[in-house]
Amino acid sequence: MQIKINDKSYDCNENDTVLAVCKKNGIQMPTLCAHPDLLPSEGVCRMCLVETNQAKGLVSSCTQKVSQGLEVFTETQNINKARKINLELLWADHAGKCAQCKKNGRCELQKLAEEYNVEGFKFVPRRKELKKENELDLVKDNWSHTVLDEKNPCLSRDSQYCIECRRCVKVCKEIQTVESYAVNNRSSRTNVGTPFNQPLDCIFCGQCALVCPTAAITEKDETDKFETAIVDPRKMVVVQFAPSVRFSFGEEFDQPPGTFWEGKLVASLKALGADKVFDTTLAADLTIMEEANELIERTKNKKNEPMFTSCCPSWVLFIEKYYPEFIPNLSTSKSPQQMLGALAKTYWAQKEKIHPENIFSVSVMPCTSKKYESQREEMRASGHRDVDLVITVRELARLLRKKKINPLYLEEEKFDPALGISTGAGILFGQSGGVMEAALRTAAEKISGKKLEKVEFEMIRGEAEYRCAEIEIGDLKLRIAVVHEIRNARKLLEDIKLGKAKFDFVEVMACPNGCIGGGGMPQPTNKFVRKARIEAVLARDKGMPLRKSHENPAVQKIYKEFLGEPGSEKAEELLHTKYKNRKNKKD
Amino acid sequence: MQILTRNWDKIDPLNIDSYIRQRGYEALQKVIRNMDGAEVIVEIKSSGLRGRGGAGFSTGEKWETAAKTAADEKYFICNLDESEPGTYKDRTIAEKNPHQILEGILIGAYAIGAKKAYVYINGNYKKQAEILRIAIDQAREKELVGRGILGSAIDVEIEVFEGAGAYICGEETALLNSIEGKRGEPRLKPPFPPVSGLFGKPTIVNNAETVANIPYIIRQGAKKYSQIGSAVSPGTKLFVLSGAVKNKGIVEAPLGITAQELIYNSLYGGGLEMGKEFWFAQIGGASGRLVPAGKLDQPLTYGNCEYPLGSGSILVVDKNANIKDLLLSWAGFFHRESCGKCAPCREGTYRLWEIAKRLKSNDFREKDRENIEDILWTLSNTTFCPLGKFASVAWGDAVKMFWDEIFKA
Repeated sequence: MQIKINDKSYDCNENDTVLAVCKKNGIQMPTLCAHPDLLPSEGVCRMCLVETNQAKGLVSSCTQKVSQGLEVFTETQNINKARKINLELLWADHAGKCAQCKKNGRCELQKLAEEYNVEGFKFVPRRKELKKENELDLVKDNWSHTVLDEKNPCLSRDSQYCIECRRCVKVCKEIQTVESYAVNNRSSRTNVGTPFNQPLDCIFCGQCALVCPTAAITEKDETDKFETAIVDPRKMVVVQFAPSVRFSFGEEFDQPPGTFWEGKLVASLKALGADKVFDTTLAADLTIMEEANELIERTKNKKNEPMFTSCCPSWVLFIEKYYPEFIPNLSTSKSPQQMLGALAKTYWAQKEKIHPENIFSVSVMPCTSKKYESQREEMRASGHRDVDLVITVRELARLLRKKKINPLYLEEEKFDPALGISTGAGILFGQSGGVMEAALRTAAEKISGKKLEKVEFEMIRGEAEYRCAEIEIGDLKLRIAVVHEIRNARKLLEDIKLGKAKFDFVEVMACPNGCIGGGGMPQPTNKFVRKARIEAVLARDKGMPLRKSHENPAVQKIYKEFLGEPGSEKAEELLHTKYKNRKNKKD
Repeated sequence: MQILTRNWDKIDPLNIDSYIRQRGYEALQKVIRNMDGAEVIVEIKSSGLRGRGGAGFSTGEKWETAAKTAADEKYFICNLDESEPGTYKDRTIAEKNPHQILEGILIGAYAIGAKKAYVYINGNYKKQAEILRIAIDQAREKELVGRGILGSAIDVEIEVFEGAGAYICGEETALLNSIEGKRGEPRLKPPFPPVSGLFGKPTIVNNAETVANIPYIIRQGAKKYSQIGSAVSPGTKLFVLSGAVKNKGIVEAPLGITAQELIYNSLYGGGLEMGKEFWFAQIGGASGRLVPAGKLDQPLTYGNCEYPLGSGSILVVDKNANIKDLLLSWAGFFHRESCGKCAPCREGTYRLWEIAKRLKSNDFREKDRENIEDILWTLSNTTFCPLGKFASVAWGDAVKMFWDEIFKA
């Protein structure tokens, strides 16, 4: 089918919305409630209005389906008038404290306000916290319903900035099926928050913060702790960053999605004042060694099958809170972040003769939930908090901007070698399916004793939500599944419960496409951006000399010098963890 | 001409026998014994009955769509949410003659093939909900509701569902959300409820007054009904007169009557209260237009009218009234009742209310003049559902007619 937009013809499919056709063809359309991952939109913000030859008035392009003979106009006087008035109304509903806002310069509302020339306040801002009665004209009528929620370790909510676009409600309900957000009250008191305005208590995946157009939901900013540690002369600041971070960090500094900025990241952290920079990817290889060992044990003994990966803290929390009966199925191996944290304060500290108390361990993650993970009481294998601080990619970028450091102008640097050698297998952890593929590379060689001819396991790659395969290694048959997004994980758990699905090993990542779609990633993150990041991850793996975890010389050295072998007593103590039933008794 | 009010105060609403003695449930018997669903729909279609909720869509056509949509389950819903300020006709029908509504529901459900029907009633109408429940129980005892109606193989269950008193839940898709246990917010249309409604099944939502006309049409025949009132919209209509008019309350009159007659004829309003001088009338509730004296002589129908009759309430405003009070009342109502879904309605109705309060206290700013025009424009052109447009109607007229008075200190 073809439709006309602004007098030019475009091809489209029968069920497309006008908005989809516009986006596909690069026709500018302001949207505050529609998000590429959350379609169809519900037509809440009334920004994407268009005129057509088939309706009398304005229609929202996000809800308007294409039809034969449709002619659309996207920039008429009426459309611009409507957008401007509606923006002015939203702008006044918003806190408007741009200069001090975390999202300054990265806010979708701010960008539109600039584009449509919304200057100052035509209406009186009502979300502003007003100190004095007559601070502003017409203050009397201000009606502020502000909810501040800082009661969890990962996410901040501040409804002063909320424009009720409902993306968070949608992502939490439709993608994650956790339903932590709801719309409370009505009329101008309408407030997007949690049911009954309880403090947020969820799996902290941060997808809400990732889709939020303003600063209403953001990662909890802890950059100040980083700054304090850097200037503290007693502290040795060691920083690690996750595999996926190096493929997205550049976006914060106007690089295209998927730009590989590993060396720039190391250099940036050093420029900030980090003493050592380690690679979480090395710990990913360690995770594989432990997890592969665990998998072989479990399949041998037919115990607690299927085994679930446990690298994703939101997934772990989801099991603990909603499906505690599956706790024994979780691999006891810690996530790479926590393994590296534990090793830095034990193995490395001993080697360098530093008291672990003086080490301040920071990790840069694509994830908001990692903040929570680092604070779990079990994560003190070294006798101290193994990871003292977790910051997201967005926070790191914010800190760099504050310190006027632009990575673009820094010379690339290398990781510190003690904990800084990585393999392609570890790099794969950055995307959904990566843990599985890395584990298979190692398990296959360990079980068969032969070298793999082809290291890629393409049957589990791709973007499908629920990928399963049967793999033969020697005489062992492994039924495996790779799942991302909690909605699919929930489906898998239900299928297992009903006996509809049987697996030996399952990888689950809570965020769309795994960590490269994580809640702490740069904005915008959407299906197109994620695709570019995945391609970069796979290309990097392909180009690396070492592509199997057990071939990592640093890992081999750590086992030789310190841990013994996978599953040893020392490894158990430092690299494995326990889980707890956290199901709400009232549910 | 009395169709709807004929038995008011003649029958005991708590006693089904008194309704049956007035030829009650005769139409239901006729339908069940002698007609199939399609015949009922033809009858209703040719009667020309149009929905009394305000939009005036042909009832028969609506039914036809639902009947033709294949589904394992269908629903019939009687909309008794009635929350328009100054409108209380539906609840009065329920109070004075509940069985008239029930009989209409049963016929409608039978016609479209629904086994389950709801009366969606405004949560503030406690008394009327109770009366309806008693009526349903009594009808069930007489095998008029429930399984095997009148010994046939037809099952229709009726449930009274109490909403929480939100104006927006009178909008049919918001009403459906409310019954489903969701937030009372309008849905995107299409699909329209007769195709995909309650729980995704074909559903008819008819205003209570519309439903109350059904037994008469079946009993007397479509032809007789179509000769009452005006050709474009036959039948009678309940009008609620309020304000400065002498006889306040509900009157029944044939459609096509003029507001002039309703206000001044001694059969209806009987003119203005002693010593009061007519200023303008508002036809159709808070969302209705303002009609000056010279325009009262237009026939009120569900055709293409300059002044749509909406829910049928007529507020007569005399010259002692202060336009600023009215503006505040309208703005306050729509602000309170906005569901909060779309930006222009949520924010626009709030800003309008804010400005109305300032006008009232003579505290307005120069920029308010421009803001009023902008808000009214965006309300009438960009909102998700018609509530936003409704909110701008009376204000729009007031601004056109009384601009200087509004800004007079």
